[in-house]
Parts: sequence; structure tokens; C-alpha cells
Amino acid sequence: MARILILGYGNPLRSDDGLGWRAAEELSRTLSSADVDILARHQLTPELAGPLSQAATVFFIDASREGEPGELSCVPVTPQASGAGFSHQLSPAAVLALSQLLFGTSPRAFLVSLCGQNFDHGENLSPPVAAGLPRLTALVGQLVQHLGQQQAVRSR
Amino acid sequence: MERRTIVIDPVTRIEGHAKITLHLNEQGRVEDAHFHVTQFRGFEKFCEGRPFSEMPSLMARICGICPVSHLIASAKACDALLAVRIPPTADKLRRIFGLAQVVQSHALSLFYLSSPDLLLGMDADPASSNLFGVLAKNPSLARDGIRLRQFGQQIIERLGGKRIHPAWIVPGGVSEPLTVQNRDAILASLPEALAIAERTMEWFKGTTEQFREEIASFGNFPTLFMGIVKEDGGLTFYDGKIRMANAAGDVVADGLDPARYADYLGEKVESWSYLKSTYYKPKGFPDGIYRVGPLARVNVADRCGTPRADQELAEFHELQRTAVLSSFHYHHARLIEILYCVERMQQLLTDPEILSKHVRAFARPNALEGVGAAEAPRGTLFHHYKIDEQGLIRWANLIIATGHNNIAMNKSILQVAKHFVHGERLAPGMLNRVEAVIRCYDPCLSCSTHAAGQMALQVQLLNAAGEVLDEVVRG
Repeated sequence: MARILILGYGNPLRSDDGLGWRAAEELSRTLSSADVDILARHQLTPELAGPLSQAATVFFIDASREGEPGELSCVPVTPQASGAGFSHQLSPAAVLALSQLLFGTSPRAFLVSLCGQNFDHGENLSPPVAAGLPRLTALVGQLVQHLGQQQAVRSR
Repeated sequence: MERRTIVIDPVTRIEGHAKITLHLNEQGRVEDAHFHVTQFRGFEKFCEGRPFSEMPSLMARICGICPVSHLIASAKACDALLAVRIPPTADKLRRIFGLAQVVQSHALSLFYLSSPDLLLGMDADPASSNLFGVLAKNPSLARDGIRLRQFGQQIIERLGGKRIHPAWIVPGGVSEPLTVQNRDAILASLPEALAIAERTMEWFKGTTEQFREEIASFGNFPTLFMGIVKEDGGLTFYDGKIRMANAAGDVVADGLDPARYADYLGEKVESWSYLKSTYYKPKGFPDGIYRVGPLARVNVADRCGTPRADQELAEFHELQRTAVLSSFHYHHARLIEILYCVERMQQLLTDPEILSKHVRAFARPNALEGVGAAEAPRGTLFHHYKIDEQGLIRWANLIIATGHNNIAMNKSILQVAKHFVHGERLAPGMLNRVEAVIRCYDPCLSCSTHAAGQMALQVQLLNAAGEVLDEVVRG
């Protein structure tokens, strides 16, 4: 597993909820480093604890419901065990907690999101989210580059 | 005292949306129970007018847990429309795909949804009755569950290109042959999966003593059992004839053609649920009650056909001289099937033909009607299509495992509620047992009603006037 894991998730048949998939596809085209692994998933499941435990940093990408449509946010996520009754659909914090509990380690993690406008049936992003997608991928690209430079400095 | 009703809404740790109502008589005792499936999907209607060749991909969208089962049944129905015999290697590859699906689905049911009940007990705090609770008490069990599900998903991803909604199975066979690299990678993963299955079986058998009361009251009543078996009576998930056995364990109908399901299976619609109830026609409704899925399959099959699974099957049959009746034993049956699936994959993957490049037969439609049947993780699955001369779908009927089990699930809830629910309030342990009996069947309501989302549960306690006395909503 690469040092950096980018994990886009959501339902691509639910309009803006497909943001994670679209971002993962876009980043797969622009980020070609062997140090970066990119996954797209419908939801976060316990099985992801394995790949997470092998990464140094993970970027979760998802559409949010908080804020103005198209608003970009990037917030750190820390492990937190979830009491969800339905444990094959987890929050980023819960998957990180599983990684910690199962493998004794969890990566530094960030949740990068755009506030969605439309979560109804459909395969297209709403105009504000479509317009915000390049900003999101650029931000993730810059953060990945920054982490790469940090690693290069440490290796010297 | 007036008659009252308890409502549990939503039901938790199941696949889909449902609620339960428990009706109390004037003495405050449970006299009736209903399992209401409150979501609706409608795949049978909105596929009308689509080209039949799209059906496997469309039908796989019915479920995110068992898309492969729908792919298989749908493709088999399309094979019947084409009137082709698919290449032997395609047949074997479809079987491997289906076996991997059963393993990942059974792992989800047993480890993610039911192991909190089995490990932490039925009276455990609902807030900790989840995978994290299991992890805190028995980390290796939680790790095994996650690894086993991953094992099945990785095989599906290797063969189908992706783990959710893969489109590798097509009318006439499969779209791509198996590569040497993928065969070797899957073969290399089998020993770990088998070891997990063995460990879990030993753990499970060690837990059952503490669940005597649940075993006695969780759907423990006589019914028929139905499953597809091979020509020699052996366990199969892909192809064969329908066998029906009674509670004594005697075969009452054998060699039934799956394509003629309508001759012996009836479907009844109830006003209080979107889930149809299926029954065995010769006995009528509701006496034609039968069960499908893991417990039914191991009750109707003469053997598994793989060494470790057959050893465990023999031990399983020592539980009861007749058919094994308690639905609590669905969990045990699931574990036998996991063993079988891993062992059977080993057999198929070491077949000399498995790397053949001839994996698809091509034809135009040669029949206007086709039925495909297979054993999905939760039981027998039928896809039945009629097309017009242009190959467009004109009519479709799907009979899903959860529908076969609907009458039995309702009766099981009633049995559990009569045994455990007393008074006008729902204590957590009572509620959880009512839910846990449903989890034994591992119902998939997204599959069986054709709504998006997770299975949440609502339980209502009603009086004779229909007034809600108590209600619990979880989701």
C-alpha cells in the first residue's frame, strides 16, 4: 500500500453523492506517483481498515450537507469508535478507529468535501459542485505534493 | 384489560427497512405478530421495455450485498432466451463467482450483524452490540470476520473487475477468461479463508450451550424446506433441481424443474407489507410454509461433496434426528456453507479447463420466455422474463429468498414474542431477541421488494383498539 491513500466514496447514481467517485477518477489521471493509491467505494466498510493501516496519510473525499452548495472544506479526522447498529457502513472516524484497534495504527486523516446541492437520482453533479470539483482536486494535489516534499526532506 | 400492540421500528442490523408489530390480547399476552417490509423497489416493472441483454447489469443493481446472485440468475434466464448451452469453463467460472459471493455475504451476516448477539449475549447494551463491541471482547473474531469478507470481495473484484455490481457475467457465459495470475492469487488465499472458517466453526459450536432458550424458541417449528440440489442430491449454489423436504427430513418432492416454479409455488400479497409471501401450492396458504437459505439447503442436501463440509454436515445432523428445525441454526448452517464454498473453489480452480479462453456462447434470442434459478446466500432465487420479437422485456417476475421465508419469519417473530415479551413495555433484551430471530434468516429487503438505504427497524405494541402502547425506533 502506498504512503498516501485517497478514498473517494458515495453513490454515483445519487447526483452530488457521486463526488467522491468523480474526484477519484480525476485524481487518478493527474496523480501518477507510486506513493499514492486511489480507491473509489460506495460506502466505508470495515474491510478498509486494512488498507488504511498501511498508509501514512489518507484523504477521504465525500459530498457534505453542511454549508453553501459548492463550499470546499478540508478537516482533520481522528479515530472514534462508532456505536452504529449497522456496521457495514461506517464514518471516516470509525474506519480509522477500526484500523487502530485491529492493526495498532491509523494514518493521519483528512476529510475533503464539497457541500452538495442535489442528492436525488442522477449521474451528474449539480452546477456548484461541478464547478467546485477542480478546486477540490487541486487542493488534494497540492497537499499530496506537500507531503511528498516533506518525505523527501526527511529521507535526505 | 384491553387488547394492545407493540411496534418495533425500525429493525436494526438487517438489510433494508422494516418494522414489527406485536398484538397483545386482553390479558396482555402476545397473540399475533407481523413483520412489515416498508420499502418498495419495483424492479419488476421498470425493466419493462429494456433490451433483455441489459438485464444482468440492471438486476445486479437490486442489491449491493448480493449483486452476483442476481447476475447469475438473470444471466441464466437470458441463456434460456438465447437457448444456448454456455461453455463448460464459463459454467465453472460462474460457480466460483457465486461461491465467493456466498462467503462474503455469509461473513457479513454472521460476523457484522449477528456475532454481537452471539458473543455479547442477547441482553447486551444495544450501544455496544456492534462490530466495535465484538472487537473489544474478542479481537481475533472481529479480525477474522473482516478478513473473510475481504477474501470473498477480492475474488469478486479479481474476476468481475469490481466488488460491487460487477458486470462480468453476461448472457451466454462470462465476458473474460480467467488469467493465470488471478487463478494463482485466489488459490493462494484459500488456506487462510479455510483456517478462519474452521476457527469460527469451533468458536460457534462452543457458544450454543448458552442459547438453549433461544434455540428452543427462535423459529423452532415444523415447516417444509426447499433448495436446489445436484442430480446426486448434493449441495449446490448454481444449478440443479428443486427439492422439498418436510420437518421429518423426508423428501416430499424432488427433481422439480426450476423453470416450472409457478406450478408448485404460489405468491400471496398482504396489505401490511411490500414483501410477497411465497408458499408451496400443494399445501396451500399458509400451510405451505417453507424455509429456504442455509438451514434449508443443509436440510435438503444429502451431502456437500467436500471433505470438511461433509464432516460438519454429519455433526450438524446429530443435533436432531429429523430435519434441524430451529432457525437459530441458520448460523451454524452458514458456517458449513462457508467451509463448502472455500473447498469447492479449490476443486474448481484446479480443474485443467479453468483457464480456457472459450468462455462465451453467442446467439440471438431463440425463445420468448426464460427462467433462471440459483441459490443466493439467503436462498433460492428465480428470475423469469418474457420478451417480444425485438428482444425487449415485456414482463418480469422475481422471487427472492426473503419472500420464500416471509411466512416463516412472521411465525418466528410470533414464537419469540410469545416466549420473551411480557407486559406493556419493551425491555432491550426482549426487543433484541425479536430482532435477532429475523437476523437468523439474514433477510435482504432491498432485494426482495424492489428502497435505498439500510435496514432499520420499528417495533410497535398496539392495544385491541389499534392504539400504540409502546414504540421503539432504531436505525
